This record gives sequence, structure tokens and C-alpha cells, in this order.
Amino acid sequence: MPMSAIACSERGINMNKHIPAEIERFDLSARIQHVIMFTTFLLLSFTGWGLKYAYADPSSAWITIWGGAKTAGIIHRTAGIIMLLDFLYHQFYLLNLWRKKDLRLTVVPMPKDVVDFFQNVAYYVGLSKKKANFGKFSYMQKFDYWAVYWGMFIIGTSGLFLAFPVMASYVFPTWSISWAWDVLFIMHSDEALLAIVFILFFHFYNEHLRSDVFPMNYMWLTGKMPIEELKHKHPAEYEYLYGDKGKK
Amino acid sequence: MKIWLNTLLLLVFTVVSAPAANAASDNASCLTCHGAMQGTVEKEKGVLVNLHIDQAKFEKSVHGGFVACVDCHLTFGPNPHQAPSANVAKAVKDMANAISAKSKVDAVAQAACLNCHPDMYKEYASSIHGRNVIKKRSGDGPVCTSCHGSAHYIQPKTNRESMVNHFSVVSTCGNCHEEKSISEKYGFSPLVMERYLESFHGRKVKLGHPGAPVCSNCHGAHDVKGQKDAASPVAGANKKKTCGTAACHPGATDKFIAAITHKPLHPIAHYSEIALILLTLGVFIFIVVHVFLDIYADVRDRLFRKGNKHE
Repeated sequence: MPMSAIACSERGINMNKHIPAEIERFDLSARIQHVIMFTTFLLLSFTGWGLKYAYADPSSAWITIWGGAKTAGIIHRTAGIIMLLDFLYHQFYLLNLWRKKDLRLTVVPMPKDVVDFFQNVAYYVGLSKKKANFGKFSYMQKFDYWAVYWGMFIIGTSGLFLAFPVMASYVFPTWSISWAWDVLFIMHSDEALLAIVFILFFHFYNEHLRSDVFPMNYMWLTGKMPIEELKHKHPAEYEYLYGDKGKK
Repeated sequence: MKIWLNTLLLLVFTVVSAPAANAASDNASCLTCHGAMQGTVEKEKGVLVNLHIDQAKFEKSVHGGFVACVDCHLTFGPNPHQAPSANVAKAVKDMANAISAKSKVDAVAQAACLNCHPDMYKEYASSIHGRNVIKKRSGDGPVCTSCHGSAHYIQPKTNRESMVNHFSVVSTCGNCHEEKSISEKYGFSPLVMERYLESFHGRKVKLGHPGAPVCSNCHGAHDVKGQKDAASPVAGANKKKTCGTAACHPGATDKFIAAITHKPLHPIAHYSEIALILLTLGVFIFIVVHVFLDIYADVRDRLFRKGNKHE
């Protein structure tokens, strides 16, 4: 999922006479953060899935591929910690952008997203012939982005507690211990399923299977979007950047 | 003098080699028939005796090769046509009487484990299982073969085929501990097995983790105690020690050991689970509908609105 595309190296471009052929939406750091995020996500999903469905037939064979239950557990914990560090790093990345005054809050959900949503659905079903006037990030992309925060909050913290249960036991108040452990387990396992389903259906469709990006949206490698695409897919952002010049 | 020496030599030879020779010939003669016989006979009402002995399997078992049939089947002499003799040691006879409610096929053979495994038997007799069978003369509760399987085919614990192997002992305990009639009668949670199996411990064992604990790792095996018995390794303060071994969870706290109880799910956990499942389902329905609408609009635009692809 797009970790962040808040860096806006395009700030200066506004004053340029020419509209560039393409525009950078993900800087190198964001692209690396994304690669770490999805690599650890896949490792966590593959190893965790076997444990969640341990009693389904293929699971034992599947876990054997990952080096057996013990190794799979080590892979899972290591990947989990790397993912949490990646997430933590992202917060510093944002702070740094803010410090450099490069932080535009383009990924923060706004009332306009609700309008965009209804406009988009109306367009889907044919009630309107006008496409939604998406900004730098559509509500779907914002959903993608904040899903990671939800996942980190629910799955990350519960996972950390479950990986170090003795230490975690100091944190919980005595009155919660008759259910806290089961709640942690349920949170971790059910929300992980939600995350996998979300990525598998929503993110894979939008960034891999959709007819205009198939087989994949190469932006995760290049970080750049052709200006024509920006104009069509994110018209409000195009308007913001190039204003009158963009109108033909 | 020479005669005396010869006699001694003969005596030594007899003592050393005769039992083996005897055992072999004994087993061979028993197996002549029992290796070929199939099916069961009813000894008394409801008590079926399996007559077949799989010779190859017996010989590969831990007892194969050196235990003679009559070492355990003590009431049977070498001659099968003779009536069963009563020439059985008192300890075995007493034990056979004590466990007769449980062991109906051949209580003497069942009690004969005592002869070679006295320490195990002592531990077992002090356990909640042993006390129930021996002292209370109950028909519930295991005897040796209930957990280890027929003495004819016992495999070492390290063998996956063994009923008490790390990866099979849980289902062996489950034979009784999953039974509702047993959990009601003896007052333990009917969900013991279910809750264990869905715990991290149970799942890891299922996936082949050699270090994840099975029933006996925490509760003990031959010396297993009831949950209210202060000597039980999971009773009171003992539980912290049992969970907190160096290989498992060193430094285990009181709050930590509450994680595994085998008790039914707490209502808070139960409703959290329902809430999270509803959330997952809701998001899932939303994204699937959204994706299909997008596909529909995409196909429609490509087919019918070619000029209007992007606006």
C-alpha cells in the first residue's frame, strides 16, 4: 500500500514555465519503506496463516516449507519487529518532512472524501457521467494508507504482547487477565485476516489487476506518475499544482 | 571334581540361555495359533477379546524378542490345554483384583506390568488416574494399556506411532478428556481439549513444533494429579514454576499464567471476537462490492464510452 506520498517535491514546479512530463509522488525513502512493508507483510501472512488454520489439512505441509513450526515462528517474529520498525521509521520520516516544511496533509481524510465517494459510486452505477474530482489521493488510497495504521495499532501491539508474553503480563491490570490474553489472540488473528483480505482484494485489484495498471502499477519502483495520468486520475491535484496553465 | 565342574557349567549354560530359548519357543507355539486367528470372542457379556496377534508388529515393539507371552499372561501355562493356573505372585494378584472393574479381558496380564515396571506403577498408583482405578475400583480412568496401547505393539515414546509420542499424546488424553460424561462426572471443564487445541500451544504441536507443550508436559504423566490436589504441577503456586521453566517462559508472573486455563472463553473475549468478525465481514463486503462496481464501470467505459475514457 502506498505508505506515504506526502513528500511534495513538486512545490517548486509550480513556478516553472513548463509542466513536466511526469511527477514524483513517492520519494526513494517512501518507496523503500513500502518494499519493507510488503515484504514483511507477505512473510507474516504466509507464516501466520499456517498457525491460524493449523487444523486445516495443508497447513502442516505449508509450515514445513517454511522450515517447520519453530523456524516459521522465528521468521514471523523477526518480520513483525522489522515491520514495526518500518512503521516507526515512517513516523520520523513524516516528522522530518514537517520539519523541512515539505509536509502537505494530502492523505488526511477530509469531508470532501465523502463527497468523492458518493460521486464515484454514482459514476460507477451510471447515475452521473462525471467522475469524482480526486485530489492527490483518492479516498481509496487514503483507506489503503490508514489501514496500515489500524493494522499496526491492533495487530502490531497485540503481536508484540504475544511475542513477549511474560513482559506483557506486567502491563495488564489484574482485573483484565481473565480475558486479556484471549482478546489479544483474537485481535491478532482476526485483524490479520482482515488485513490479508483487504490487501488481496482491494489493493491487488487497484494496483495490479485493474485494466489500466495491469500487471502492476510501476509507481512502487519509479515513484513517478505521468502528468496525463495525474490529470485524469487526480484532477484536483493537477489543478492545485498547475492551475490555469493546465487548462487547455 | 570334573563332574562337579561340568555340572556347574551346565547350570550356568541353562540359566543364561534357557529363558531366551524358552521364550522363543513359547511365543512361537502361542503365535502358531494366535498369529493366524482372526476376530474376537466374547469372554463375558460385553467383553470382547481380540485373538489375533500381529507377529511382525509384536517383534518390532519394545517387548518383541525378549518378553514371552506367559511373562504377562501369567495364568496361562506353557501348555494351552491345561486350565489356567493360579500360580501368580501376590502383588500382581492383588493388583489384578483391584483393577478388575477396569481391566476385564485379562486383569492379571494388565497387572503384570508391575513386575518389570514397578516404579512407573508406583507413580501411577499415587496419581488421580491410579487412585480412581485401584482404590475406588472405578471402571473409568486409564490402566497402562489405555494410554500406551496394547502391550503387544508398544513403540518407544520417540516413535511417532507411539500413543504417548509428543505429537500423539494429546489425542490419547482426549480419548477420555473429550468425553462429556467424564468431564461431568469428575468436574473438569468440558472444553479442556477444545481450548487447548485452539491455544498457541495446541496449534504449534499440530504444526510439528517439538518444544510446544502437550498435556503431560504441564500436568505430568504417570503421576498426574487432580486440579485441586496441592501436589499438582498446575495447582496454586506450582503453576508459576511449571510455566516458568527456563525452556518455556522464564520469569512467569501470576498475571502471565492466567493465559492458559482451558476454561471457556470469557464473555468479554467472546463479544470482542464477534465484533471483530463483524468488522472484518463488513469491510470485506464493502471492498468486494466496490471492486465489482469498479470492474463494471471499467468494462462499460471501454465498451460503450470509448471517447470518454478518462473524463
